[in-house]
Order: sequence, then structure tokens, then C-alpha cells
Amino acid sequence: MNSHIPDFTLLDHTADLGILVRGSDLTNLFEAAAIALIRIMVGGEPSGNTESINISVEGQDLNDLMVRWLGEILYLFEGEERLITDVTIGFISASRLDALVATVPFDPARHEILCEIKAVTYHEIEVVKRGSRWEAKIIFDL
Amino acid sequence: MDIRLEQLDECRWRIPKSGPMRVDGLIFSSNELIKAVKTDESLNQVANVATLPGIVGHSLAMPDIHWGYGFPIGGVAAFDMEDGIVSPGGVGYDINCGCRLMTTLLHAAEIRPVMKDLISALFSSIPTGVGSTGPLHLSKKEETEVAVQGAAWAVNKGFGTPEDLERIEDTGTMEGADPSVLSERAIKRGRDQLGTLGSGNHFLEIQVVDKIYDMEKARAFGLSEGQVTILIHSGSRGFGHQICDDFLKEMASQMHKAPFDLPDRQLACAMLKSDQGRRYLAAMACAANYAWANRQILMHWTQETLNRALSIGPKELGMKLLYDVCHNIAKKERHRVEGNEVVVCVHRKGATRALPPGHPLLPEIYRQVGQPVLIPGDMGTYSYVLAGSEGSMEQSFGSTCHGAGRVLSRAKATKMAKGRSIHRELEDKGIFVQSRGKRTLKEEMPEAYKDVSQVVEVVHRANLACKVARLRPLGVIKG
Repeated sequence: MNSHIPDFTLLDHTADLGILVRGSDLTNLFEAAAIALIRIMVGGEPSGNTESINISVEGQDLNDLMVRWLGEILYLFEGEERLITDVTIGFISASRLDALVATVPFDPARHEILCEIKAVTYHEIEVVKRGSRWEAKIIFDL
Repeated sequence: MDIRLEQLDECRWRIPKSGPMRVDGLIFSSNELIKAVKTDESLNQVANVATLPGIVGHSLAMPDIHWGYGFPIGGVAAFDMEDGIVSPGGVGYDINCGCRLMTTLLHAAEIRPVMKDLISALFSSIPTGVGSTGPLHLSKKEETEVAVQGAAWAVNKGFGTPEDLERIEDTGTMEGADPSVLSERAIKRGRDQLGTLGSGNHFLEIQVVDKIYDMEKARAFGLSEGQVTILIHSGSRGFGHQICDDFLKEMASQMHKAPFDLPDRQLACAMLKSDQGRRYLAAMACAANYAWANRQILMHWTQETLNRALSIGPKELGMKLLYDVCHNIAKKERHRVEGNEVVVCVHRKGATRALPPGHPLLPEIYRQVGQPVLIPGDMGTYSYVLAGSEGSMEQSFGSTCHGAGRVLSRAKATKMAKGRSIHRELEDKGIFVQSRGKRTLKEEMPEAYKDVSQVVEVVHRANLACKVARLRPLGVIKG
């Protein structure tokens, strides 16, 4: 469950936009990254008929897994026009995650687009443990 | 990598080959522009590209170089067809993002009093903004036709005329497009976005020809001082983004098997002659064709809108396509390398093809003067029309710069614009702007970009392309 404000900061990158996300554990980190991505893209209170969607992602390592996971969240918005309102990661390992995301349909009348993100890049991607907490650096293509 | 930078002359800098680099890096710049380049990671990125297998000549950067992801923006690199690679990151997410310039018979003085109305009319009729969809909704069959036929599809549907096609790079159709390699996601994202401008740095601008540098070439391009022109900057929309994303992920997941080290995962690539490499090129060609059809349709709607808003007929408006160039692409081209004529795959990521006079790929109308090159500036300053020069074939695989290039990140630009009305500042300069996104104007404000005049000066002096005309904005619509 991750509807609270995710712990993230924006990073400066000349051409694009990056974020530094923090989480208490891997589950929390990946949930926070997904919510942060939506908050950067869309403003306003997400509302509408909620539909829950199962997402499973596999990756080579944690970096690859993060890029693919956020890629799925981005595709839900760009391809299916659905905004996630809540994320629950049921299982996560270094190479796989299973999540249940709650989504609402994107409604231009209610939701304000803040920023178009074209893609989640591998550029300088980093998912690391610092002390007892996890941190991820992700650069988006705008 | 530790980067050593040597100045060769007033517009060329070299990164000598060292460590895993297979070739030297060569950067076209000026004493002023190189200062900003040294402060970010883009020189490292030039060096990283130089490590990729099969690279020939130099790992090149144009004067508008800035930090990208994987390849720098403004990067050009050519790869041997036998032992070279193709990299989706070396093309970019917005495949065939490009520019299209149209001339008209209008004079700036005639439309200045109604400029605000014209911009409003264009803003209502041209779909703009994030994820914008237009009145066109393609069936899967139609979408695959667009992907194969490109601008010709749009012309067959009544958007523009057959005469437009020779005024488009590759006549608006890239060969080798194969929609069967596309993912369902790519098809889905492309369905409703044909005929839309997009967001961010994409725009449609009404301009006036403000200065002519080369009378002969300007005449051949149909340009004269005081004349109204229209510039469109857009690409392949979500369709192209998805194709890049699909192949980047596929290639990235297999890079651990590659017999070479990759300095940055975003440089993920496949050998040109591999099945994966061939499939990417076939998919990329689909996106290139989609983008050409997109700009062809946007041009047609622009013409219709201006006819309606000015209550004049097409003859009186006299809108004519001058040229359409792409600046994110990988293409098989014939070049001379170390004295031998070879076919190489030239990646241009934020760079424009600039064929010199006499080149066989040029249409008859421009054969004597060289290929028109369109260089948009930021929305507060000038754009330029150049013509390809002989030096481009000798030094840069027939390439030149593509625009101003950012100097400020979007966050820094927004911070700098705080408390200012960019809209009003531009209006005070006589430039009317309408944009969909609230932040767009601040993020895209003039100070966020390099001075395009300096960028153009470098390519002119380096003999990559020569200045033909300068265009000043009168009104802009943005996403």
C-alpha cells in the first residue's frame, strides 16, 4: 500500500529529468518510484472507476527491473490511458516483481498533465542499498 | 574515462583515442560554446560512442551537443555494415523527429495585425499537447500502410500534393519498413496520434524571412526578405517512443552475451547484420514513415486553417513545402572512408543530413545548390535555413547540427522563470505564443537554449553547411 507521498527528489539533467527515490526496503522503494513517476506526470486528485491490474516484470538485475517496472507504469498511462492510484508489490527479488496496481481512467478534465515523459532510460540507472535504506536514481526521457 | 580534449582549430576539437576507444572523438564547436560542453557529461558520451564495435571515421559531435542518455544529443556516428552495430539509443526515442518548412506568398506586414487570431486559429485546429489525439483514428490496416508508405500515404489520402514528396528527405518514405516486427503496444500507441504535434520542444511557428545571406541559394529555395514562412517541428509520437523502448529493452537484456564491454546500458545495441539489428531497422523505418506522414498531415491542416482564418484561397496563400528533414535517425548511406567508397549505417541523434551541391540523392530542384537544412532556434530568437556544403561529406558523414541545444535543465529554466511572464515577454518582442502545458513556456524559454546563431556560425565556418536565410518568429503554438 503506497498512497502516501513517496520519498523522492528531482535531479537536474540538461536534456531530461531524473529522480532520486528512497525506500525503507526494496518493496517500498519500487512502490515509491511508481507513485513518484505518476506524480511528476499528472496533477490533480485521481478519481474515477478503479480497476485493479496485475503486473509481473522480469529483469536481469535490480537496475533492469526498475527500468522495466516503471516502463510498465508509463505504458499504462501512455498506451491504456490509465493512472495508477495505489501500488502493492506482493513479491520482489533481484530479477522479478509481482504487483497489484489500482488504476483510474485518465480524464483530461480532471487530471492536469504536468510533464510528458517519453521513456524510462537505462542512463545512469542505479538501485543501491545505503545503510539500512534503499535508493534509486532514474533518468526519464522527456 | 579520463577525457583529454585538444583544440585543432577555431571550430574543431579532438578527443584522442585512448583506453577502449576505437576511434578519435571530433567535436565541432567554438571557443565560447565549448565552455558549456566541458561542464557536463557529453564529452564522456562522445568517448563512449567511440568504443562501440565497427565505428568508422570519428565519433562526431555537432556544435549543439549536449548531454543526452547513451549517445550525446548532437552526436553522429557511422558503423561498418559487416562488423558494426545499430543502437536504438543512437537514434533516440522520438524516431524521425524533424522539421518541415513551408513558404507562402504572404508578406509579414499583411498578417501582423491579425497574428493573434492566426495563432488562436492554429491552436484550435492543430492537436497539441501530451498524449494528444487528433481527428484521425487509424485501423490496424491503415496504420501498417502509414508505416510502410510514409508521406506518400498522406498524399494519397488528400493531404498535400505529389509534388511535396521530392521535397522531403528520402521522399518521405524509408525503405525496409516491416510492420510485422512491431509490438502490439507500438501499434496501439500509434493509432490515434497521427496528425498531432506533441508536447515539449515540438512547435509550429509562423515566421518572417528576416535576412538573406546567399541570394542564389535563397532564390532556389523560394525565399525572399519579408516573406512569411511556417516551420513545423514534430516526430513519430508515442509510436516511435514505443518502438525505441521495445528494442532497447530487448537488446539491453542480451548485452551480457556481447563480446565487448558496454560503458553505458543505454548504448545497448545489436550487430547490423544480426536478426535483431535488422528487425530494429525495419521497425525504425516504420516510425520514420509515421513521422513523415504526421508532418505532411500537419502541413495540410495548417494550410486549411490559414485559408479559413485569412479568408483567402490556396492560390493566394501559395503555401509550398520547401523541405522536410529528420534529425533522429539511422540510415544506410554511401560515404568515402579512408579513400574507399563504402556503405555505412550513419546514426544521427539530434543532427541533420546536409548533402552538398551535386549529390545524387538531391532532387533536381536543389541539385545545384545543395540540400536545404532547417535549424530551429528557441521561440524567442531566430531559426536558420542553411544548405549542405562539400565539407559535410569529407568531415561528418554528410551531417550538420539540428538546433540550438539546451543549456539549462528544465528545472533550472523553471526556477529562473519564476515570477516572470514568459508569454508577456515574448509578446513585447512581437511574438504571440499559445501553449497547452502550463510549464512548457517556462521550460522552453529562450535562456534555456544555446544561442542558435553561434551554433550555425560554427557549421558555416567548418564548411558543413552554409547560411542561406534567417527567419524571425511572429507566432508560435506549442504543446
